[in-house]
Amino acid sequence: MDFSISIANQLNAATILPEGIVIITLMVVIIGDLIFGRSSSRWLPYAAIAGLLASIIALYFQWNNPEPIAFLGAFNSDNLSIIFRGIVALSTAVTIPMSIRYVEQSGTSLAEFMAIMLTATLGGMFLSGANELVMVFISLEMLSISSYLMTGYMKRDPRSNEAALKYLLIGASSSAIFLYGVSLLYGLSGGETNLTTIAARITDASSSQSLGLAIALVFVIAGIAFKISAVPFHQWTPDVYEGSPTPVVAFLSVGSKAAGFALAIRLLVTAFALVTEEWHFIFTALAILSLVLGNVVALAQTSMKRMLAYSSIAQAGFVMIGLIAGTDAGYSSMIFYLLVYLFMNLGAFTCVILFSLRTGTDQISEYAGLYQKDPLVTLCLSICLLSLGGIPPLAGFFGKIYLFWAGWQAGIYGLVLLGLITTVVSIYYYIRVVKMMVVKEPHEMSDAVKNYPEIRWSLPGMRPLQVGLIVSVVVTSLAGILSNPLFTLANDSVVSTPILQSAVVTRELPQNNVKVSSTVAPSTQH
Amino acid sequence: MQLQYCLILAAALFCIGIYGLITSRNAVRVLMSIELMLNAVNLNLMGFSNFLDPSAIKGQIFTIFVITVAAAEAAVGLAIILAIYRNRETVDMEQFNLLKW
Amino acid sequence: MTLAEGVQIVSFGILAVMVLGSALGVVLLTNIVYSAFLLGGVFISIAGLYVLLNAEFVAAAQVLIYVGAVNVLILFAIMLVNKREDFSSIPRRWIRQGATGIVCFGLFALLGTMILITPWSLAPTSSAVIENSIVEIGKHFFSDFLLPFELASVLLLMAMVGAIILARRDIIPEVAIAKEREIVSTSLTLPERPREIASIGSSPTKEQ
Repeated sequence: MDFSISIANQLNAATILPEGIVIITLMVVIIGDLIFGRSSSRWLPYAAIAGLLASIIALYFQWNNPEPIAFLGAFNSDNLSIIFRGIVALSTAVTIPMSIRYVEQSGTSLAEFMAIMLTATLGGMFLSGANELVMVFISLEMLSISSYLMTGYMKRDPRSNEAALKYLLIGASSSAIFLYGVSLLYGLSGGETNLTTIAARITDASSSQSLGLAIALVFVIAGIAFKISAVPFHQWTPDVYEGSPTPVVAFLSVGSKAAGFALAIRLLVTAFALVTEEWHFIFTALAILSLVLGNVVALAQTSMKRMLAYSSIAQAGFVMIGLIAGTDAGYSSMIFYLLVYLFMNLGAFTCVILFSLRTGTDQISEYAGLYQKDPLVTLCLSICLLSLGGIPPLAGFFGKIYLFWAGWQAGIYGLVLLGLITTVVSIYYYIRVVKMMVVKEPHEMSDAVKNYPEIRWSLPGMRPLQVGLIVSVVVTSLAGILSNPLFTLANDSVVSTPILQSAVVTRELPQNNVKVSSTVAPSTQH
Repeated sequence: MQLQYCLILAAALFCIGIYGLITSRNAVRVLMSIELMLNAVNLNLMGFSNFLDPSAIKGQIFTIFVITVAAAEAAVGLAIILAIYRNRETVDMEQFNLLKW
Repeated sequence: MTLAEGVQIVSFGILAVMVLGSALGVVLLTNIVYSAFLLGGVFISIAGLYVLLNAEFVAAAQVLIYVGAVNVLILFAIMLVNKREDFSSIPRRWIRQGATGIVCFGLFALLGTMILITPWSLAPTSSAVIENSIVEIGKHFFSDFLLPFELASVLLLMAMVGAIILARRDIIPEVAIAKEREIVSTSLTLPERPREIASIGSSPTKEQ
């Protein structure tokens, strides 16, 4: 007994308590389904949600952990990782209520679906705190493999199969490319796998390693950009979003993306600190392409899921502004935006799920005149879409303003201006859906809406959907006005994270040097 | 035998894998190309492990993890290929175009 | 257990030729069964390279997992999807292949240059190989790589569950014409209708 306690202390195992809770929940779901059979589907989803919420509470108690490094350097539980793990867990906790009805209606088994989704969550959570190359790889693959499985879950549907196959092939090849970059990193650092040690070892090296480091950087960014679906690594996104079950899309667009950003911050800021200029440049290119292509192609979409796919590409572009800014404000604006994006995007997906469950379609034209039949869904979808577009009193507006402000402070004026212009474009296609739902006269109603079934929340699985919808809409509409706690949370997590602080300092030093030299240079000329 | 030989062999294998990935039309062959790429990465890691890190051999550990994950990925990939073959009666990548804008 | 220098070079050369030749066969041959067997050849030759790199345990793992599991799995998959299908030829396909070949060769040139000009920080005691690599690997697994080791077990469990779910044939549930009118129940498909059916005006382009 003493022995096990001393081992646990040595490993600092308490830091992965939240993940432990998720693993226990996973086991409960699998074994509960085995023992109790189909009848267990009544309580299993609630057990899963409870487990995720417990894990978020456990995360709360980990805040400001004095000894964040656990498992002999494999895992880092600093405040940055805590907040990203919270985002991933919360996104699953909101996604599960909306998937109950959807999965049951398609006749597939709910328990296994939730088990796979919990595994994906686990992968995302470990990815947010991974501090070591092997750990990064394993948790990344855990997230990816369970995402492939969820994408192909509706196995009688050719679209779902095709989406899964495309996702798997593109995902596996991108992770192979990522791994090649990682192996170069291992070699360049002379045999280190810990991110902080790698940074230290590479900084010692001379500049003749720069080609190797640049190739490693490009390969690693290819892997990360695939996860956050940045253009030009986005080709899978629209197809996978259209072909997979909608709750999976909701998870991929929020949880998986947040984990990808956590990986991006940790890997780029620590291991690639030497080539900060270069990765800022590459990410600027990715952000410009994502903003332009995501927003422009979204204009032409006829399917709601595909439109949200392109919109999520564009939103990734907005978040990258904060990453490129590279300041405290930049990172905390990223976190704030991701938190807000979680609720507004999941709210929008809940409405899409409700509509497709009742009518069996997700074409945008079929939404015409929905206001007459179902005011609640119309209202919620309008709020979420307007918030995604960035209309003032809603949460998305404040998120965008903060991102743009941080970018402006850091001096990336061009990107911020492009962001503003593309925001205007994006408002157009979001408003188009809202207008379609609200303004149409009764005789212009689409066939799907004409045959709209009677609204009955008492059907099995509809209650949690309703609760999830209300929660996300309330947060979306209020988080903007009452943004202070969220804002403070995001700011605290960045300010108290050592890796970001050292990065900010080292980034500011060269700038000061440049300023000094530029002030010195004219005086010597005189 | 030098580190560079080993790395160049790995780079060649990686490039062959990428070529197969892009040009293959059979979905199973695309999976095989991905396995080739992963093996190239393993060779890289083993080379580094032997020549740069012979005392801690972390590269060997990394390789074992890559082998494990590759096996899992292959199993999932083949399951997906079986599912799509049952519905579509083909494994030709050019025929998979239901999802297109 | 280091072999003499010359023997090492020669065996490396033979293995390298085997690896590259079989890998080219995997991607270039038209018959997929030959490709699968050549893939086994690539795996075995790489295991031989691992032995040359003083890693017996990983070589054994490579043979067991890659040749024994992955390759056999691929062969099974080929047998299960065994309909001989002649892919319809696509005009100008050789242009695409040629362009890809050039790009890949360029990438190889870039990587090769990088490998040759980078001063790798070679360990000073290159010849001093640890006696028993398996003990060292075990120590790592239960110290600093404990967390990934445990995570890999969860990953494998879920990959197994998921692969079984996707690959098993199961009884398709009856499309429930429910007493509640609201339920548009489907049998293991997405609730959203495919686009051809959803948009009435356009004629379906493909019958499956």
